Amino acid sequence: MHYTDFEDIAEQRLRRIEAAINFREPDRVPLNLPLDFGFRARWYGITTYEFFFDYEKAKKAIIKTATDFPTDFPPSTIIGSGLLIGFLLKDYPEIAPLFGALTGPMHDILRDKYTRWPGRELSPNAGSFQFIGGEFMRADEYDKFVENPSEFMAEVVVPRAHQSLERPGSAEAMAALIRAALEGLKYIKFTDSLINELAKLGYPSANATALTLVPLDFLGDYLRTIPGVLLDLRRKPDKVKEACDALMKNLPYRTFTFKPISSIMIPLHLNEYLSPKLYYEFYWPYLKNIITSFYNRGIRCHVAFEGRHDAYLESILELPKGWGVAFFEKTDVRKAKKILEGHTCVMGGVPPTLLLNATPSEVEEYVRKLLEEVMPGGGFILATSAPIPAETPPENVKSVIRAVEKYGVYRR
Amino acid sequence: MSLLDEIVSAFADLDEERTINLVKEALEKYPLNEIFDACRRATDIVGERYERGEYFLSELVYAGHIFNRILELLLPRLERERVSILGTILLGTVEGDVHDIGKNIFKAFAEAAGFKVIDIGVDVPPQKFVEAVKEHKPDIVGLSGLLTLAIDSMKRTIDALKAEGLRDKVKVIIGGGRVDEYAKNYTGADAWADSATKGVKLCKELLGIKE
Ligand code: B12
Repeated sequence: MHYTDFEDIAEQRLRRIEAAINFREPDRVPLNLPLDFGFRARWYGITTYEFFFDYEKAKKAIIKTATDFPTDFPPSTIIGSGLLIGFLLKDYPEIAPLFGALTGPMHDILRDKYTRWPGRELSPNAGSFQFIGGEFMRADEYDKFVENPSEFMAEVVVPRAHQSLERPGSAEAMAALIRAALEGLKYIKFTDSLINELAKLGYPSANATALTLVPLDFLGDYLRTIPGVLLDLRRKPDKVKEACDALMKNLPYRTFTFKPISSIMIPLHLNEYLSPKLYYEFYWPYLKNIITSFYNRGIRCHVAFEGRHDAYLESILELPKGWGVAFFEKTDVRKAKKILEGHTCVMGGVPPTLLLNATPSEVEEYVRKLLEEVMPGGGFILATSAPIPAETPPENVKSVIRAVEKYGVYRR
Repeated sequence: MSLLDEIVSAFADLDEERTINLVKEALEKYPLNEIFDACRRATDIVGERYERGEYFLSELVYAGHIFNRILELLLPRLERERVSILGTILLGTVEGDVHDIGKNIFKAFAEAAGFKVIDIGVDVPPQKFVEAVKEHKPDIVGLSGLLTLAIDSMKRTIDALKAEGLRDKVKVIIGGGRVDEYAKNYTGADAWADSATKGVKLCKELLGIKE
């Protein structure tokens, strides 16, 4: 490939994505195929332990799979989980990205209690690392939290959640933080070089550059656990509300790069759980506020509507038109596309369980039928509704790629 | 309204403290079977309201929580008194998956319906299921999982049961938000459910129990 070729390809892919987001018909439907880490490791022939603990190997596995399974979106360059500390550093942009991700080596250093890793707590070829969360704030601590969320998180939650930081101010804790920062530096260099190499394959850097959570999800993931928050919503709704408001005043987010934030990822967890009464009081006003204020700053949101969001699709229309991308997991994208037509770009459509079990021609037929319904008018990005696991027959993944090239074309 | 009817309506309306107080009162007046029956009627109503879209998952989680508190109260008497059970379910989240909120709800609903449930936790490898089947001789094995990769673990678990000649001795039901007909065929399970009420109904059907 000549130098200009890959720039052309990247340009073309970016144009395709931009057109879809802006409700113009691109040359063809953009495709996003998130292969999970286990799939990439297996295809390259290494264990997930090697993948997560050796950045060089991870890079090669990612490059290999990005070459063999080309799509319009670059693979995720975040090789790890969410580091709680990263959320506390948003007022320190000159170092925050060092703590943007919790990688395997970082887990060794900080000994956090909210993730488990292949070759550590898990077998060396487990499917992936696992985020397990934890109850790092007790139900009776809401008042303390509300008084000063960042202080409470830094001084109480962080020591509870990371064994190496159990005694703040101790030499052990200081050493751990310094080592973590050095590791973060190594990791950032790795992602930079990975992004460069991906550019050489014609991948635009279209990934979100930061991540945030709706306050209620933040409480569920890092502080109270999901069942814990659900009980609190019953037993002390006023406290939960105060905590959400306090988080909202100074919304925590993690950044992944030293460049200015260009788009932000928001995975939703509790959306599907909540009754309309709870949703419209404890969830939607916050989500709407977050998306709108980023939009007003020129930052686009990528929202993953996990679970079944059917009950709340209409409310998305309250957002400013073209606010970002709505990725749907269990919600039927046909229905979503109809309701959000011309207002919100919809992404999703292919359940990964289909790829696990169907034949390549069944996959092709599925994609054909789906595209026929959802592609007219643009505003649609085809994607699997969850990362594709290692056990998926690779020929089915290729079949999705072929089908989009065949049936997703708007004009030759 | 009789005390038991009051339990049914308080529980179905998810009035936690009232339900607990009523159960405490009922403990002195009624045989265990009848209290269980009230719980079953209540969770049936909760399930119906969920299916009708009046209740959401938050309500199911809460109902499970209330039922667990009731069970704690009943436990001392459960050791002395025999209650009739519909059958035994061995339940766990399969290897590689740690999601258990849904599994715990299914467990509560199945227990309220009259099943004995043996819960062997999360991230359970196939071999551990095999050993537990040998030890507890359940009527049904319930496999829970929310990750796509869990579908493969379910298959490996069922294959392990086959290899040990145990597959014909039990019924297998898979559950969790991402299982479907594809997954059922792929894994070789007898049934699948993506809701707790559906799951309980299917468990009864698998054992030929009439409503
Ligand atoms: C809560 C949650 C978590 C919590 C789990 C807490 C816990 N103790 O369970 C935490 C934060 C820890 C978590 C972690 C992760 N999660 Co998660 N999580 C969710 C979430 C938001 C909700 C799941 C849930 O509880 N649903 C509610 C319950 C009640 O529903 P249910 O399980 O379907 O159960 C019902 C029925 O299915 C049935 N049922 C359940 N079990 C059984 C069993 C039988 C036998 C029967 C008959 C019936 C039955 O009864 C229930 C009541 O009706 C979903 C997204 C979503 N909205 O679905 C993602 C989701 C499941 N997670 C996901 C992922 C990827 C992860 C992680 C791997 C992330 C990571 N990279 O580390 C880790 C998992 C680690 C691991 N290996 O398991 C993905 C899975 C994608 C996929 N298809 O593979 C999802 C879909 C989110 C997404 N990305 O879209 N998660």
